[in-house]
Amino acid sequence: MATAARAEQARRFERLERLTQRRYLLLLAPAVLFLVIFYGYPVAAMLLRSFNDPAWGFGNFKPLTAARTPIEILGVSLPMNAYLRVIGITLQIAVGTTIATLLLGYPVAYALASMPMSRANLLMIFVLVPFWTSILVRTYAWMALLGTDGIVNEVLMGLRLIDQPATLLNTRGAVYVGMVHILLPFMILPLYAVMRGIDRNLMRAAENLGARPWQVFRSVFLPLSLPGVAAGCLLVFILALGFYITPSLLGGQRDIMISMLIQQQVVQLKWGFASALALVLLVISLIIYLVFVRVLGVQRIFGGGRR
Amino acid sequence: MGDREFDPIQQAQNRRRHERMVMLRDLDVMSRREVLRRGGRLAAGVSAASLLLRAGFPIVPTMAQGTPAASEIKLPEYGEIPANLKGSGELRVISWGGALQDAQRKAYFEPFQELTGIKVVESEGPDTSKIKAMVDSGNVEIDVAEVGYDGVLLLLKQGDYWNKLDYSLFDTANIDASRRHEFAVDMLPYGTVIGYRTDVFPEGPTGQKDFWDLTKFPGPRTTESGTGGVLPFLEGALIADGVAKDGLYPLDIDRAFNSLSKIKSDVVKFWDAGAQPAQMLNDKEVVMGHSWSGRVYAIEAAGAPVKTVWNEGMLSTDVWASPKGSNAENANKFMAFTLLPVSQARLCSLIPYGFVNNAAAKLLPAERVAMLPTAPEYKDQMFDTNVQWWADNTPAVTDRWNEWILE
Amino acid sequence: MTAKQSERAAHADRIGALGARVRFDQVEKQYPGGAANAVDGVSLDIAPGEFVTLLGPSGSGKTTTLMMLAGFETPTAGEIWVDDQAIAAVPPWRRNIGMVFQNYALFPHMTVGENIAFPLKLRGMPRDEVTRRTREALDLVGLPGYEGRYPRQLSGGQQQRIALARALVFNPRVLLMDEPLGALDKQLRERLQLEIKALHDQLGVTIIYVTHDQQEALVMSDRIAVMNLGQIEQIGGPGELYDEPASRFVASFIGESNFLDGRVTGFDDGLGVIEAPGVGMLRAPAHGGCAINSEVALTVRPEKIVFADELNGASANTIDAEIVTVIFVGEMHRYEARLGGGQTIVLKRQHRSGVGRCGRGDRVRLGWHVADGRLV
Repeated sequence: MATAARAEQARRFERLERLTQRRYLLLLAPAVLFLVIFYGYPVAAMLLRSFNDPAWGFGNFKPLTAARTPIEILGVSLPMNAYLRVIGITLQIAVGTTIATLLLGYPVAYALASMPMSRANLLMIFVLVPFWTSILVRTYAWMALLGTDGIVNEVLMGLRLIDQPATLLNTRGAVYVGMVHILLPFMILPLYAVMRGIDRNLMRAAENLGARPWQVFRSVFLPLSLPGVAAGCLLVFILALGFYITPSLLGGQRDIMISMLIQQQVVQLKWGFASALALVLLVISLIIYLVFVRVLGVQRIFGGGRR
Repeated sequence: MGDREFDPIQQAQNRRRHERMVMLRDLDVMSRREVLRRGGRLAAGVSAASLLLRAGFPIVPTMAQGTPAASEIKLPEYGEIPANLKGSGELRVISWGGALQDAQRKAYFEPFQELTGIKVVESEGPDTSKIKAMVDSGNVEIDVAEVGYDGVLLLLKQGDYWNKLDYSLFDTANIDASRRHEFAVDMLPYGTVIGYRTDVFPEGPTGQKDFWDLTKFPGPRTTESGTGGVLPFLEGALIADGVAKDGLYPLDIDRAFNSLSKIKSDVVKFWDAGAQPAQMLNDKEVVMGHSWSGRVYAIEAAGAPVKTVWNEGMLSTDVWASPKGSNAENANKFMAFTLLPVSQARLCSLIPYGFVNNAAAKLLPAERVAMLPTAPEYKDQMFDTNVQWWADNTPAVTDRWNEWILE
Repeated sequence: MTAKQSERAAHADRIGALGARVRFDQVEKQYPGGAANAVDGVSLDIAPGEFVTLLGPSGSGKTTTLMMLAGFETPTAGEIWVDDQAIAAVPPWRRNIGMVFQNYALFPHMTVGENIAFPLKLRGMPRDEVTRRTREALDLVGLPGYEGRYPRQLSGGQQQRIALARALVFNPRVLLMDEPLGALDKQLRERLQLEIKALHDQLGVTIIYVTHDQQEALVMSDRIAVMNLGQIEQIGGPGELYDEPASRFVASFIGESNFLDGRVTGFDDGLGVIEAPGVGMLRAPAHGGCAINSEVALTVRPEKIVFADELNGASANTIDAEIVTVIFVGEMHRYEARLGGGQTIVLKRQHRSGVGRCGRGDRVRLGWHVADGRLV
């Protein structure tokens, strides 16, 4: 009798708890609604176009599978065409940018995270000011720096390191420089946030247990900063996939990214094919995201430094 | 900024690209050299950072260079205007903002409102995809748009998107029939010409054959891209390969791309925004480039050692068009008004685009006419683009371009 | 050598570890921009296998002293010795000193086993020995079989035990503990105090323990160094500190004390006589520091104060007072009584002697044996 009453009470508590949890979900509602109406719906409508504009079917994906210029890899002939190649170039540029951004951003974030808060906040301005400057202005600044008569060439020639202006602008290298510059804050900020959250006592504990400074870094700091690395890489990579202005202004003939082709099709009012290309970009982004989540776990990416 | 039908910006779909356009417009003037000149000669010790700072802020945010300050210009005045242009209500017009729309306001919008009694409501940043969306949704917010004619044709293929024009209101006596279309009317002619550095070539190129002659005129070049909203200059490539300029259409796509291949390695950049060739010429990134005429003229007037070759240049134009479901009556009155000789001459005085109304030339000083693409003396040297051919063949050319550029 | 120490030494021989002697010699630490020295001339000689607690309020320099020994802070003057080696030039990772941090500092990305094996692997130990020693360390702290868990899956007390196991697994000769129980609840804290104490007896490692909890210090330590403003106020065994506080600070920091301010008027048979305003003449054992007319305080523990009729024959001080509050605190009653001078004193009496005796507002006569007071 008593146990039955207690079980009933437990059930009632559980129900209450569930209700409370559900009430928190209500707080999400405005944001979710906003995203559904102003993001989800347009994206869905756009993606639908890739299957029904101008006619229902997979016609819009045909150009992607057409073997215009087959290539042979290890004796196997694979269909290849401009669109697949551009997707390849896009991935290449995005991966390269992500790696370069990580290599440059990690030491900066590390230095900032090691500083007293007040100094770090001050220096953070130097990370953020470029962040607040228009992409176009920054891209143009690089055009001015990397041009034939640009500062870089002038300095190199002034130092007699070269006697002819080097081709710096309109190259893949220039694309990397420009994109890394623009995307660096997106790497540094999550890295910094995670690194700040790492308990300094852990470093001391490791040293106390016999680890030399580099061993402390390798076995304690680095693994604990990985969530920041993952978040930064994910952010930079996905942003880089959609880059448009910078590669178009700084890049050479072959530095074409998929967003340029999408725009090319939009202009010609071939929205179905443009949507198909956008769908491919979206799918690639999602796959990368899922791989990250799979490998690292979503809380590790977005849950900060503590597991 | 509507320099050409396929201006990336004209066709641009979102605001981000509109911003890009405004910025690129600024690049015309705000070249590195200009920055340096304004900032004083680059001393050996000047840090890149300080230069960046200066480069980071547009100094002269207009493209009205090469034109005397607006206050000094004496604009032709209207006499009595045709009574059938008068009316009431309002007229919603969308153009490309910046210096062009500033000029249009002075030349067209203000006198139109004053003389016809129709209120002008302006906006910026038209593109055909936006108009398509407006008509599709039945929510048409503009009466007249400045667009590319190919865009008009493309939309016509998809359906009933445009109002027919009522030419009974127009000054047809002075507007060539070739400029009057069923659903649009030419309104802003400009050339695709060769610009070159006079300090590199005192004896410059005289036509497309010279542009393709890498021995006689060596050095880096720039020409139009096939991505980013512009189209490759196949006409130039064919003329260089020996095709007569009045027998170009229908274009031989294969032959044109083969011709382009011959200079591909010397083209450091296929440009996709109108400001780029001017900037590259100005900064000596290239010794020669295909460019829209107003752009070359702008840096030339600003003092760059650059010259325009009109010969074998291509004449293109933006059009006025009125979307289905808008106020067609006021739209026709407005379009007819802007194509009056006085209106045309006023705009040509403010900004170096050509005129559509032939009577406008008489209202302008001879030296002003000489810098316009529609000057009578260039008429025989240049050729008209065939928008219909492009509207029909753009997908094929684009497809071909995408493969070709990656070869 | 006491019996306990020899037993410890024998045990240390068995397990291959013996605590080291640790000596602080006039050690100072000044932080750049800091006005006063954080640590100001600390000298301390800790015997091998001794359990010494640095006790003091926050900011007293106890943690800084510990950090200098661990190698995370560098002394600005003085020298620290471990056995016969001056350690100033030895980097932290070569000092071989174990440390338990207040917030445990367990590596969250490693399992319990990996945490404990960490110092062993760094020392290049063969894998099967690492496994064996890890298991032994877990047995030692009473958490066998926990190798595969992550720290976040453990309770605070369990985490603290793992931290202890990790600090001991490489047989350090000195173990430092920085407020290791501060984050735990009272019951758990008391249990772990006894466990750590037992572990110390078992291992013979020298332990230097930092806390601000005097109760904890009294329970665990062989000796306690009471620190204040960067200096050691007094060092001694728990009983010594409790019964013979050298200063008012020590008397007030360790246990509860009453202080009666007064002036020395004379000496009588080895006792100092002081005049406390509004209270009268009081006597207490004198010490070298007192001189006639010096301002002193007579300190007496609340449990030493009794109702006058409870006093037996020995020489006593007696005072009149009025009971202000009576609080029942479980095993005893706690009274606050106002004296003639307006001062308040506290006394604690067992139930039997206190119950029903008096209530609020009663005028009573209190007293204590002269030997139970002390001049500070």
